[in-house]
Amino acid sequence: MSRLNPLLQRLSQSKPFMRKSGYNLLIFASWIPALVFFNENVGQVAKISGASMYPYLNTSYNEGRSKDLCWVNKWSPGQNLQRGMLVSFWSPSHPEVLAIKRIIAVEGDVVYPRAPCPSPKAEIPAGHVWVEGDNRDGRRSLDSNYYGPIPINLVQGKVTNILWPWASSGPIRWWEFKGKTKVVEGRREDAPQWS
Amino acid sequence: MPAPHTPLQYLINTYSGHPLRLFTVTLRTVLSLHLFVTHGYGYSTTWGASMLPTFEILLDGLLVSKYYRRGRGIQVGDVITFDSVVEPGQKVIKRVLGLEGDYVMRDTPGSGSLEMLQVPKGHCWVIGDNLPHSRDSRHFGPMPMALIRGKVIAKIQPFSERKWVTNGLTPVDEG
Repeated sequence: MSRLNPLLQRLSQSKPFMRKSGYNLLIFASWIPALVFFNENVGQVAKISGASMYPYLNTSYNEGRSKDLCWVNKWSPGQNLQRGMLVSFWSPSHPEVLAIKRIIAVEGDVVYPRAPCPSPKAEIPAGHVWVEGDNRDGRRSLDSNYYGPIPINLVQGKVTNILWPWASSGPIRWWEFKGKTKVVEGRREDAPQWS
Repeated sequence: MPAPHTPLQYLINTYSGHPLRLFTVTLRTVLSLHLFVTHGYGYSTTWGASMLPTFEILLDGLLVSKYYRRGRGIQVGDVITFDSVVEPGQKVIKRVLGLEGDYVMRDTPGSGSLEMLQVPKGHCWVIGDNLPHSRDSRHFGPMPMALIRGKVIAKIQPFSERKWVTNGLTPVDEG
């Protein structure tokens, strides 16, 4: 304490400029929790990495290193999920990675999956969705064909807008999506339940 | 107006008659507490018989460390809270019995089936302490670690029954 006292004295007597900037720094820090809350519960800008959503996102994947930026709406993420929506979710196989894929089927549907999936037919159980990347080459996308239907609780947000590049920026018209994967649409009430 | 000598006088001078200032400082305080609860330590209550006898059926108060969210540093034997695999919006408390790469028994011991399976990458195997009354990995299979919210470190309510929640698994005595 005896060594700390001169330091405290010097700080309290320091020039108004130093005191002022220290105060401003404190005010800035006090807004960080608000920023974290906004990013986790309201919305966030997400950078798209990889080719799994090519050609819809990262359209210039083969031409350069630039990556698309998207707006993710994080308000009530698990509610009202529809076929065709783009969602961001924690990857089941990599817990610290937020993945962005397209919802192909919702609970109650039957999917006929592609290559790495061991079974020819998958029923989507209650509380789950089936997600896939847009890329025609299944090896470019780590999706439900590898890890099966994902729990809705993993979904963190819905991708609503493309922000960058300018050429493709605008709202995402997910309802216009026509998939290549064969899906037999069912009713949510008929989804396999967990006993 | 006298110079602000007491903290109360300071608060009155700063916020009285400044509604915007009062609003932002309230917002920052509430969101700081929210950050502490989501990333530091949280409180959770039990509901259901699946963790008997470790926790009672109704309203035991538990202290949860959020450092372990998404399975960081989780070990076999830890009691965790996580978002339900099955029901959107539900939270569940179970014990971890296997991590990625481990071999676990598919069904209840004594049920006749001896099927084993390997827990896939990024997943864990969770089981309730009360085997007959627990809906867990035996029903829904391996659980993605990303669903983990935190690790239960203590029971704090009722206060007379307070205790640290420790790793309940001990190595088999082979002697």
